[in-house]
Amino acid sequence: MIIASLFILFLPLLAFLIQIFWGRRLPRQGDFVAIAAVGGTLVIALGMLLAILLKFDPGFQREAAFEWVNLGAFQIKLGFLIDNITVIMLVVVALISTMSHIYSTRYMGGDPLYSRYFAYLGLFTFSMNGIVLANNLLSLYIFWELVGVSSYLLIGFWFQKDSAADAGKKAFLTNRVGDLGFFIGIMLFFTAMGSFNYQDIFNGVANGQLSGIMLTLAGLGLFCGAVGKSAQVPLHIWLPDAMEGPTPVSALIHAATMVAAGVYMLVRLFPIMTPDVLIIIAYVGGFTALFAATIAITQNDIKRVLAYSTLSQLGYMVMAVGTGAYTAGFFHLVTHAMFKASLFYGAGSVIYAMHNALHKLNDHETDAQDMRNMGGFKSRMPITYWTMVVATLAISGVPFLSGFISKDAILAGTLAFAGHSPQHFLVPFFGFTAAMITPFYMLRLIYLTFHNEPRQTHIYIKIVESPRAMTVPMIVLSSLTFFAFYTLPQFNPFAGNGWFTSLVTAQDSLVTGFAVVSAHEFAEQVHHNHTLAMILSVSLAGLGILFSWLFYLKRKLSADAWAQRSGFIYRWSFHKYYIDEIYDRFIYQPFLRLTDKVGYTDWDLYDQKFIDGFGRVSEKLARLSGTIDWEGLDKMIVNGIGRFFQRSGQSLRQAQTGRLQNYLLFALLAIIVILIIQVL
Amino acid sequence: MDQLQTYLIIGAVLFCLGLYGVITRRNAIAILMGVELILNSANVNFVAFARFGGMNMSGQIFALFVIIMAAAEAAVALAIIINIYHLYHSINVDEPSELKL
Amino acid sequence: MTNLTSLNYLQPELILTATILLMIVVDLFYSAKKSRRIGLWALAGLVLAFIYITVSGFNIPTALFLGSISSDPFGIFFKVLILLATIMTILVSFSERDLSNQRVGEYYILLVIVTLGLFFMVSATDLIMVYLSIEVVSIMSFVLAGYLRGNRRSSEASLKYVIYGAFSSGIMLFGLSILFGLTGSTNFFDIRTGLMELQNGADLALMLSTVLIFAGLGYKISAVPFHYWTPDVYEGAPTSITAFLSVAPKAAGMALIIRFFNSILGGEGVFTELEWGTFSAIPWTQLLAVLAAVTMTVGNLIALRQTSVKRMLAYSSIAHAGYMMMALPVLSQQGVYGIMIYAVFYLLMNLGAFYVVMIIANATGQEDYDQFRGLGHKAPLLAILMTLFMFSLTGIPPTAGFIGKFYLFAAVIKAGPSFYWLAIIGALNSVISLYYYMYVVKTMFFTQEKTSITQIEFKGISILVIVLAIPTLIFGIYWTPIADIVHKSLAIFIR
Repeated sequence: MIIASLFILFLPLLAFLIQIFWGRRLPRQGDFVAIAAVGGTLVIALGMLLAILLKFDPGFQREAAFEWVNLGAFQIKLGFLIDNITVIMLVVVALISTMSHIYSTRYMGGDPLYSRYFAYLGLFTFSMNGIVLANNLLSLYIFWELVGVSSYLLIGFWFQKDSAADAGKKAFLTNRVGDLGFFIGIMLFFTAMGSFNYQDIFNGVANGQLSGIMLTLAGLGLFCGAVGKSAQVPLHIWLPDAMEGPTPVSALIHAATMVAAGVYMLVRLFPIMTPDVLIIIAYVGGFTALFAATIAITQNDIKRVLAYSTLSQLGYMVMAVGTGAYTAGFFHLVTHAMFKASLFYGAGSVIYAMHNALHKLNDHETDAQDMRNMGGFKSRMPITYWTMVVATLAISGVPFLSGFISKDAILAGTLAFAGHSPQHFLVPFFGFTAAMITPFYMLRLIYLTFHNEPRQTHIYIKIVESPRAMTVPMIVLSSLTFFAFYTLPQFNPFAGNGWFTSLVTAQDSLVTGFAVVSAHEFAEQVHHNHTLAMILSVSLAGLGILFSWLFYLKRKLSADAWAQRSGFIYRWSFHKYYIDEIYDRFIYQPFLRLTDKVGYTDWDLYDQKFIDGFGRVSEKLARLSGTIDWEGLDKMIVNGIGRFFQRSGQSLRQAQTGRLQNYLLFALLAIIVILIIQVL
Repeated sequence: MDQLQTYLIIGAVLFCLGLYGVITRRNAIAILMGVELILNSANVNFVAFARFGGMNMSGQIFALFVIIMAAAEAAVALAIIINIYHLYHSINVDEPSELKL
Repeated sequence: MTNLTSLNYLQPELILTATILLMIVVDLFYSAKKSRRIGLWALAGLVLAFIYITVSGFNIPTALFLGSISSDPFGIFFKVLILLATIMTILVSFSERDLSNQRVGEYYILLVIVTLGLFFMVSATDLIMVYLSIEVVSIMSFVLAGYLRGNRRSSEASLKYVIYGAFSSGIMLFGLSILFGLTGSTNFFDIRTGLMELQNGADLALMLSTVLIFAGLGYKISAVPFHYWTPDVYEGAPTSITAFLSVAPKAAGMALIIRFFNSILGGEGVFTELEWGTFSAIPWTQLLAVLAAVTMTVGNLIALRQTSVKRMLAYSSIAHAGYMMMALPVLSQQGVYGIMIYAVFYLLMNLGAFYVVMIIANATGQEDYDQFRGLGHKAPLLAILMTLFMFSLTGIPPTAGFIGKFYLFAAVIKAGPSFYWLAIIGALNSVISLYYYMYVVKTMFFTQEKTSITQIEFKGISILVIVLAIPTLIFGIYWTPIADIVHKSLAIFIR
């Protein structure tokens, strides 16, 4: 297994190296190399999945490490940890990555940097597998940053567009904010335990080496990293902009895998999170779920709707971790990866068709991603339509599909959580409300894009179904939303158990000194609330579907009129609650002004005020010195300083930067200032 | 001890004069002379400490080394100033100010 | 140890001295066109010294020449660094375009003399030696900075450098004279004994002399507020010299500062125990901490606003001096360890970055950001290497720069809560530096082509850049060998 995972890790890296150096010279710009490499990882990962299914042991675990740095007291070991969660995640990454590669052969065909695109994808797959396989916080952090870099490169892939380059930068910088906290968290654990290894940290927490408020702070630090990477409020701003990247990238990185890395990390480290951290996690996640959903309602860009829906679903997963139902969160991560990637492929397919149509019409003005230019595409692109409908129903939580099972588990978890601590009733409220809004905006997307009469007939008639390289991944992934893939050997769509839940089981919290609920106790409560959650979620989803149907398909209710009537609420949602503007106003601009100020102090202020002042002082000194017979002394030592007093005062006044003596003077004054400070 | 103090005061005065010359003069050679004053103020200190402080000879030796180094430094500095004069036809240190900010 | 027996420990320096003398003589026989070959002689001498040092390895710390210099692993470590930097500098100088149309014999001679001066700087244990070595290095550097005689910028650089340098060494000298007066000795260890016996009334004088001396040393490592010469000199000097100045004298300056503060102001347990002692009367640790913070902040903030990559690198080198200084006031073995490791990695990445700039300057005659626009498409390999150096300078894993910073920050954080603020400022500075380093990357890959480069010749200097890039990456992943060497070098002469 360890050897197999080595292949999984390094095959994509190999592909990356081949692509970046020789990609352009290979036939077909070497895309087959990349596909072969990720295809290889998929085969290996599926083999590993088969192996754990045959073993069927919830406690399965393999670990291997090598000594990386050894300086006596200071040792770092790096290595792999493979258990059921790892294997399932590896399959998800390999599968979506392979699909994205295949899809990209057509979607990115003809791009001038075609080979480099595949190189970046390889780099990403390598880094993501590194995160999945890590058995310690340090290599997790390293790969964490590497996925950040590859994400930056891919978001800004069409860097000729300013918006794309800016979006890449924004993603990178926003993630750094989270990573700062992440790093502090890692370092807190390291200082307390002297090790980065998960198991050592778990043992350390169980032994109380880090406890109380410090453990909470360390956990919060780790969560900061997840907030950045998984785009939770308030660091969610980068994800919608990241849609500037190519669509297969959005599917792979910004929907299915990388953004889920934060959730994956929380799932891995759940046992060491204190209840205080978990409550914060639950609230942040729940709030994000609802908040993003309310924005998604009003967006018109097809990819942005999906982006906000991703935010909302990530919020679900994070909330699940916070409530303690972290296995449910991981379950949702897996199911979400399938249907969301499928949705993105569908959106990409529509955009691709729009692009080609607009190209034929020689139209460079119309926005190919704006749903207001679409409508009625159902008959033109049947495969895209049906796969998207299936995925949409899955995300909406319609029974018989995967999203239903996983979302249900999360919602039952929130109910159990609220049952245990009723003061946190808001958490299930967030969850259920979002569950109602999700089908509403997702079906809105379907209706606006595929149903009713075409809004732009001249475009509509040029729309054709996408080529097979694009439709096959859509078909594969949307068929994977069928519930049975996750519940076998059970075949009951409402039971919510099967191989997945048997293999991925919750661990008890290891935190000492807090009142924690044991995994078993929690599972009991979840079981208790299961039926209630199911009834609630199905009826709420039905309500959402009904309204969407009334608004956008039947047009019994007018969306525009409602938008008018709701006034500022609509505007807020449409403008994403002005979060970007607020950050700009209160963070970026003040910082820019600060740098300006510092530059000003260092040069302008120093020149104008300081040198001027000094000139005046020395003029006064000159006058003063005239009264005591300074002149005679001057003549004896250096030729006539006295006369130069006046002149130096004057020239100092006009002094400009780049002048040597300003430098000398400043150094001297610095010495004096330091001395004064020292004496005081 | 009084004698030591006198020399130290002379040293300090020389030091301040040197500083002042360096800061205020525009003429590169005059600045160089200011630097020499600073160096020699230190020399006065060294020698005075060694002579009156009841200390060993290393003060005088230090002063000798400083004088040698000062000569070398002045030679190089003058060469550079001549070069500047060739390029700018002036030895005003404000003249060359292309490098800034 | 007496003067004659001391010579046994001085072979590397003697090799350099012989090389210098030989070069001066040989240069007489070369015509201006062939004077470039002097570089080969210099190279031979330096490589010989390098081989000698590496083969003979670390010795037991010994005092030489009646205690005026010492020979110890700490010094040898820095000597190796300096030799590496000089060898690189000579290699790139062969392809420096600016140097190609004048007589360059002296250029190489001066470089070897600087190396000799730096050797003494890292091993000086006597005030006279400190002053002499600093002056030797400075005076040669003045000439090197102004080596392009007809070039206005180069001449201006050397003028500013010489006056600022002479001024600073004068100030330092005055401080040294006070220190001598207070203790009656020029030897570091006698000074320490003298200081311990000193009555409290001399605090003010001691403080004055410490501050004045630090002004001189701070100039050498371009610590704010004694950094003002740095950007101008770095911009005006030939790029090969700028790269050299930003690395070798800085490393030697750090070594000198460590030795100076450790031997004179440090207490008993020096490199062997965790804590240095300190004279409580002078709060020099706080002073150093504040200066470190100010140095990196100012360097980074001004670097943000540069239009020339070379000048940006000059300011960033100030910031890096600040990072290294950060580990000084924590007074621990770990701090010194961090500085030494960082010096190695900084040498690699900074030389690499400067050499990329030099390749661009050789091809276009300019060092502006404009020349880097679209470099990622014109010369992808070069752009990738530059990206690697930028990542490393920022401290992004997996590059050597990250490891270096890691050790520095670890030392600072380990020193306890009273230094947390410094670590936080350091971390914030890393974030600021991210912006301008990444701006280079962005300019290379994500902007329309504007560079006037048509063809990058794949010759000497490019190979050198690759040679620097490989360890920058490899040490970011596996740095145990370097850490081991540094660990062994952590022995300093004490009496």
